[in-house]
Parts: sequence; C-alpha cells; structure tokens
Amino acid sequence: MTAPATADFRTRLQDWLPKMVLAPSFAVTLLFVYGFIAFTVLLSFTGSKMLPKYDFVGLDNYRRLFALEHWHIAIGNIAVFASLYIVICSAIGLMLAIFLDQKIRGEGFLRPIFLYPMALSFIVTGTAWKWFLDPGIGLEKVMRLWGWESFTFTWIKDNDLAIYCIVIAAVWQTSGFVMAMFLAGLRGIDNEILKAAQIDGASNWQLYRRIVIPMLRPAFLSAFVILSHLAIKSYDLVVALTGGGPGRSTEMPATFMYSYTFTRNQMGIGASSAVIMLMTIAAIMVPYLYAELKEKK
Amino acid sequence: MSRAITPQAKAINTGLAWSVALLIAFPILWTVLTSFKPEPQAVASPPIFLGFDWTIQNYIDVQDQRAYFRYFVNSVVISIGSTLLGLIIAIPAAWSMAFVPGARTKDLLMWMLSTKMMPAVGVLVPIYLIFIRLGLLDTRIGLTVVLMLINLPIIIWMLYTYFKEIPADILEAARMDGAGLREEILYVLTPMAVPGIASTVLLNIILAWNESFWTINLTTVNAAPLTAFIAGFSSPQGLFYAKLSAASTMAIAPILIMGWFSQKQLVRGLTFGAVK
Repeated sequence: MTAPATADFRTRLQDWLPKMVLAPSFAVTLLFVYGFIAFTVLLSFTGSKMLPKYDFVGLDNYRRLFALEHWHIAIGNIAVFASLYIVICSAIGLMLAIFLDQKIRGEGFLRPIFLYPMALSFIVTGTAWKWFLDPGIGLEKVMRLWGWESFTFTWIKDNDLAIYCIVIAAVWQTSGFVMAMFLAGLRGIDNEILKAAQIDGASNWQLYRRIVIPMLRPAFLSAFVILSHLAIKSYDLVVALTGGGPGRSTEMPATFMYSYTFTRNQMGIGASSAVIMLMTIAAIMVPYLYAELKEKK
Repeated sequence: MSRAITPQAKAINTGLAWSVALLIAFPILWTVLTSFKPEPQAVASPPIFLGFDWTIQNYIDVQDQRAYFRYFVNSVVISIGSTLLGLIIAIPAAWSMAFVPGARTKDLLMWMLSTKMMPAVGVLVPIYLIFIRLGLLDTRIGLTVVLMLINLPIIIWMLYTYFKEIPADILEAARMDGAGLREEILYVLTPMAVPGIASTVLLNIILAWNESFWTINLTTVNAAPLTAFIAGFSSPQGLFYAKLSAASTMAIAPILIMGWFSQKQLVRGLTFGAVK
C-alpha cells in the first residue's frame, strides 16, 4: 500500500520541484526590483522630506522638479554626456574592432588590455583620471616640465569644459568593451560575401561602408542600449572624478537624486527624479528586449 | 572576417593596435608603478618612469595610517559572500529553467535580466529605509545581501546559458540506467556544471568587488570595502599620490589577475548575452 503512495509522491515532487526552486529567485526579483520601484513611485507622489510621509500631493513633486534649475542642468549635462559618450565609444569601438580583425600579431595579448578598463571599478579609474587631468600635477604640469611652457589643460576646473573630462574618462573605460561587441559581430560575417564583393571590384572603403557596417546593425543596437543605460546610470565615475563640480557643472540625474534625497532632505523630489530616470531607461530598453524576444522565439 | 592583407598593412595595423593598447593601459600601469615610488619621486619632475627607488613603504604607510587592510578584508568577505549566497538561490533556479523549461521560461529570464539595467537610484530609498529599520547600515551582512540581490539576475542568466550547453542526451541516458533525480543531479549534472559555475563565480566576484554605488551609500567605516575607501581617500586633496596609488593598486590587482582569465565571461556577462 505504501509503495504506490511514495511513488506518487515522488512523481509529484519531481513535477513541482522545478517550480519550487524557481520561486525564490522570482519572488526576490519581484519584490526587490518591482516592489521597491513601486515604493519609489509612491513616494514621488507624497510630500516626503527627510523621512517618508504618506500624504498624497499629486504631481506636485514633478512640477517642482521641472521648475528647478538644478534639474535642468542635470538633464542638459546628461544629454551632452550621453550623446558624446555613445557616439565616440561606438566609433572608437568599431575602429578598434576593425584593427583587431586584421589578423594582427599578439591579438590574444591585446584583447584583455582593451577590456581591462571596463573590468575596473569606476571609482578607481575616476580617481586616476582626476589626478591625470588636474592641472597642478597631471598632464599640464608634465607637458610644461617637458618644455612646452604654454601648454594649458584646465578643463576639469572649467565650468563649461569639465563635462568633457567625464566623457574622456568614460570613453576610455568602455571603448574596449564596445570593441569586443563589434569584434564578435565582425567575426560572424560570412567570408564568402566579402570575397564575392572583392571579386566584383569593391574597394576596401566600399566593402566596409556598404557591406560590413550594415551587417553589424545588431551589434550597433546592443551597443546603443548598453551604452545608453550605462550613461543614465553614471554615478560613481562622476562622484570620483568631479563630484558634480565645479559648481554644478557636471551634475547628473543620479547625483541630483542622491543629493536631493539625502543631503537636502527632499525625498519626494528625489523620488520623482528617480522615476523620470527609470522611465527613460524603460523607454529605451523595452522595445529592444521585445525585439530580442521575438527574434529568439 | 578575414581577407588577404599585405605585410605592410599588417605591420601598420599591428603598430596602431599596440599604440592604442598602450594608451589604454597607461593610466593603470602608471598607478601601479607610482604605488612603488617613494612619495617625493611620485610627483617628481620630470616624471620618472622606471628608474626610481622601488619601495613597498607606501603599502605599509597606508596600512599604518588608515588600517587599510580591514577594507580589503571587507571587500573579500562581501564579494565572496554575496557570490556564494547568490549561487545558493540561483543554481536551483537556473537548473529548473535550463532542464525543465516551461512555456514562459524565456520571458521570465529576459524579465529578470532586464532588472539589471534599472538604475540603482530607483530602489535606493526603500533599501536605505529598510536598512535603518533593521540596523543594517554599515554592516557586512547587509551589504552582502544587497550585492547578492543586484547581481542575482546575472548569476541566474549566466548559469542558465552554461547549463543549456549540457547535452540533454546524457540526462536521458542516465535516466535509462535508472538514475533518479538525486543521482542525476549528483553524478551527472554537477561534474558537468562545475566549469560554468566557476566562470559565473569569477564574473560575479569581479562585479561585486567593483560595486561602488551601494558600498558608498550604505557603508561608512565598519563594513566599507576598498571602493568606499578609495572614494574617501581621494577627497582630501592631499599630496599623497604614492599612497593613493598603493590603495588603488590593491583595489585593482585582484581584478587584473582574475580579468585575464575571464575575459570571455566578462564580455558575456556585461553585455547581457548580446555577445556570445
């Protein structure tokens, strides 16, 4: 009598086990990401200051957020930073990938070097760059010591130019990584197509312009999505390199959110800025993921 | 793709690629070299490239002045702890998705992975409030749990892709030989899954080691890892470049070593599978 009962229990266990072991991960993601995001959204509609309060104030925080000059500066900065960062990174990444694809000597040794910056903490690289870009001790001083007396490089101290220092450091950090994405794309291109085009008399330039680059479309798309979410999330590099300064000239939405929530005790406004960032990322990501999903099915 | 390339073109390309590599590696190389210089030579003019008096004094000084080793231990504990904790939750989940897939497994996986792209500021406030309530601010355990949570989607997804590569025929054969679920997992799957798990561990330790948003915002002294230490150390504009370099070198050395062995996983993990 007991034998069939245990067997039955076992079969049922084997049916249920996969779902049971999946449940914790599912629950954790649901609560930790979506639950907490929902809480942030809720806070953005309340008059929370230093601590959360649950008095509903409607869209008040959003109205006040968009009236703040500080927020406009942050948006302007992220727009400049993100567009330069994405374009320059993609261009350099593509160039590096084309170089590495020419069967050069020591590729196996070079590839990890190109990738290294991305593997390092933004805090550490930001600190190194801060040092290098500082006029008193970095590039400017070295150039002057080497005899170029009139050399000046004070971007990091300049309200209008400091943002480009962040672009430089960020490009340095991610270009090699973008290169890896493009390289994988290049290696996936069928040689026969290229040979056929060459036989037809296509020049190198035409080959890349007309065949290779169009065929890299998926790699461009992934690079765009990954770079844009990195740009919007950029926090540590800014903190390490400029701390948002000089003045507010390199303030970004992420640093804005942090300072409003924790130093200025305007939790409601901070939450509403976080919601705007979330929505921006979702607007970029959802169509991409949707396309990916459709492709894989 | 590969085509016929003339030797001259190849030499030029190689030269260019190596110059770019040098340019990219330079800041890292310089930091490492500076960490072995005596403080005056670190800011000497003109800069000294290799011919300085090599010393490990900076490492000793940083330890004496800032009890730096504690931060290092925190980094190790937190990154390894969060990885192991993540594996406990992720291995069963990945196993289930790879070997007993349902109709919506792919969707679920994509959904989980998509959360990794969300900006951390979106969940900072609730986590901060919970940490205050539970007294978890500036504790290793709190930080370990948060880092596990943020990296969990990557762990699950990486494990899933590795588990997927295990041929289903082998499981079939084991079942034919009368292996139950327990034997199947213990004697067939585990040995085949170990390399994939090892790669996942490596990538996740790198990610956790580098994490700075959460470490800066949730710790002050007791649980602060190296990233928070460097963020704090760099703010007073003192002239301790050799010492700062020593701290930075310690923070990046494990990554430089691990990174060399795990470039493929790094690309795979950081691109969310866009590159295989």
